[in-house]
Amino acid sequence: MVRDGTDRRSARFQAGLALLGCSALLVTPGHAAGDPALGAYLASECTACHQLSGRSTGGIPPIVGWPEQQFVAALDSYGRKQRDNPVMQTIAARLSPEEMAALAAYFGSLQPKP
Amino acid sequence: MKPTRRDLATGSGALLAMGALGTPAVLGQAKPRVVVVGGGPGGATAAKYIARDSQGAIAVTLVEENETYQTCFHSNLYIGGFKSYDAIVHRYGTLAATYGITLVRSRATQIDREGKQIVLADGQRIPYDRLVLSPGIDLKYDSVPGWSKEAEEAMPHGWKPGRQTQLIKQKLDAVPDDGTIVMICPPNPYRCPPGPYERASMFAHVLKTTGRTKARIVILDPKESFSKQGVFMPDWEKRYGAMIEWLGPKVHDGIKSVDPKTGTVVTGFETYENCAFVNVIPAQMAGAIARDAGLAPAGGYCAIDPATMKSTADSNIFVLGDACNAGDMPKSAFSANNQAKVAAMVVRSELVGGPNFPARYFNTCWSLVDTDDAIKVGGRYEPKDGRIAAVESFISQPGESDEVRKQTQAENMAWYDAICADMFS
Repeated sequence: MVRDGTDRRSARFQAGLALLGCSALLVTPGHAAGDPALGAYLASECTACHQLSGRSTGGIPPIVGWPEQQFVAALDSYGRKQRDNPVMQTIAARLSPEEMAALAAYFGSLQPKP
Repeated sequence: MKPTRRDLATGSGALLAMGALGTPAVLGQAKPRVVVVGGGPGGATAAKYIARDSQGAIAVTLVEENETYQTCFHSNLYIGGFKSYDAIVHRYGTLAATYGITLVRSRATQIDREGKQIVLADGQRIPYDRLVLSPGIDLKYDSVPGWSKEAEEAMPHGWKPGRQTQLIKQKLDAVPDDGTIVMICPPNPYRCPPGPYERASMFAHVLKTTGRTKARIVILDPKESFSKQGVFMPDWEKRYGAMIEWLGPKVHDGIKSVDPKTGTVVTGFETYENCAFVNVIPAQMAGAIARDAGLAPAGGYCAIDPATMKSTADSNIFVLGDACNAGDMPKSAFSANNQAKVAAMVVRSELVGGPNFPARYFNTCWSLVDTDDAIKVGGRYEPKDGRIAAVESFISQPGESDEVRKQTQAENMAWYDAICADMFS
C-alpha cells in the first residue's frame, strides 16, 4: 500500500492523540484557512511545550505537520472540554475559530525534523 | 552566521515576510540594536525570537556572565536523583551559530538610561535602541536573622543554580537516619512558588529510598498557605507518612534566629538544634542592575506595562521574568519564556515593522512529589486594569489516579525538553 503525505500526517496526529490518552471521535468542522502570520505568533505560546522541530520525548505529543482540519478539530474539542487535559483545555478555551485555523495553518506547514 | 532558510521559514520569522512592514522606528543606522541582559528563560528566549523573527534585520547582543545556563527548573529533580547535573546544563552556542546573536560573556553592571548604553564589569559600553532586561532575582541576605552571604555554605539556599544546588544535594546525602532537615521558606513574591515544596518532596524521596525513614523534614513557612498546598500535603502523607512537617507562622511564631555554626534554628515555638542541615530560602528582589537603574523600588520588583512588558519607568527597556512584577503570573521559567515572546514581538514591530498582536499570557508549573507522581498548576492571563490578571486557572486535584499523576510527570519531563529547545535550539 502506498501512503501519501496526508496519511503519514494523519498517522502522526493519531499517535499524538494516543499519547494524550484521547479516544473521542474526531469532529471535522469546516475547512481551515488560517492566517499564517497570526498562527506564527500564536504558535510561540505552544512551543514552550510542543517542540517546533516536531521532536517529542513522550509526555507531550508532537503537533507539527498535522492535517489542518484535524488540528482544528482537536483544539475545538479541548476548548469544549471534551478531551481531558486542563492545560490544553485552558489554552483552547480562549482561541477563536480564526485563531485555531491560523495555528493549524502554521503548524501544518511545518515538517518534522528527523 | 545568519539564520538558515529553514529557520526563517519555519520560525515566526515568517512574520516579517508575511506581514506588512511598518516604518522602522530607528533610522539613520545600519541596523537597530537590541541588547538582552541575562541568558535565562526570559533573556535567551527574547534574544532568539527577536533575532529569528527580524530575519537578521536587528542586531541582537546577549550579555550573560556564565558560560552555561544551569536551569533552576528541574534542579529539584537533580536533588531527588531523577536527573543528572549535566542534564540541567545548557549552552548558548546555537543562539550565535543559528540566529546570529552576538554573545558577550560578561557581567552587565549598570544601565546608562540617558545614553542608552549597558556598562559591563570591565567598563565597556554597549549601546542599544531597546534593552531587554532579564536579570532574575537577588537574595535578601538580611531577611533571616543570623543568616548571611557568608553563611550560605553552612546553610545553603540552593535558589540560584550551580554550586549551591550541588551543595544541597551533598548535604542531603549526608543526613543521618535520625537527622532533622529544617527548610526556611521565603515570603511572597519569590522565584518558583511551588519550588520549596517540591524540594521537600525530593528530600523525602531520597531519604525514604535510601532507608533513612527516621529522618524528618520541618518546613518553617512565613506564609499562611502555599502553592498547591491542598495537593502537596495529602500526597506527602500518602507517600512519606509523617516525614514532612509543615508549620505556618501561627504555629512557629516566626524565625527568631539561625546559627550556621551549630545548625540551630530558633522560632517562637521551638528551637531546632544540631540540624542535619538547614536550607534557608530567603526573601528575594529584582536583580541589582534593575534596581540600581531605578526600575524597581528598593527591595522590590520592576513595574511593567502588561500589554508590552515594557518598564513603566523607561519605554526603551523591557523587563522579563523573575525581576518584574507580572501581576498574577508566578515567577516561573514558563512565565519568563512566555513574557519574552510578547516583548520580542513588540521590539521587532517597533524597530523593523511587521504585525503586532495583542499580548496574551500562559503559565504552567509542574512539581514532582515522588516517582511517577507529579502535580501541576497553571492558567491564562491577560492585561487588565494596568496589570497582568488571571483569567482562568487549573490545578491538580488531591486523590487523582496513579495514571493521571504518571502522565503529569511525563508532561513535566517533555515540557522541560521543549522549553529548553525553545530557548537554546
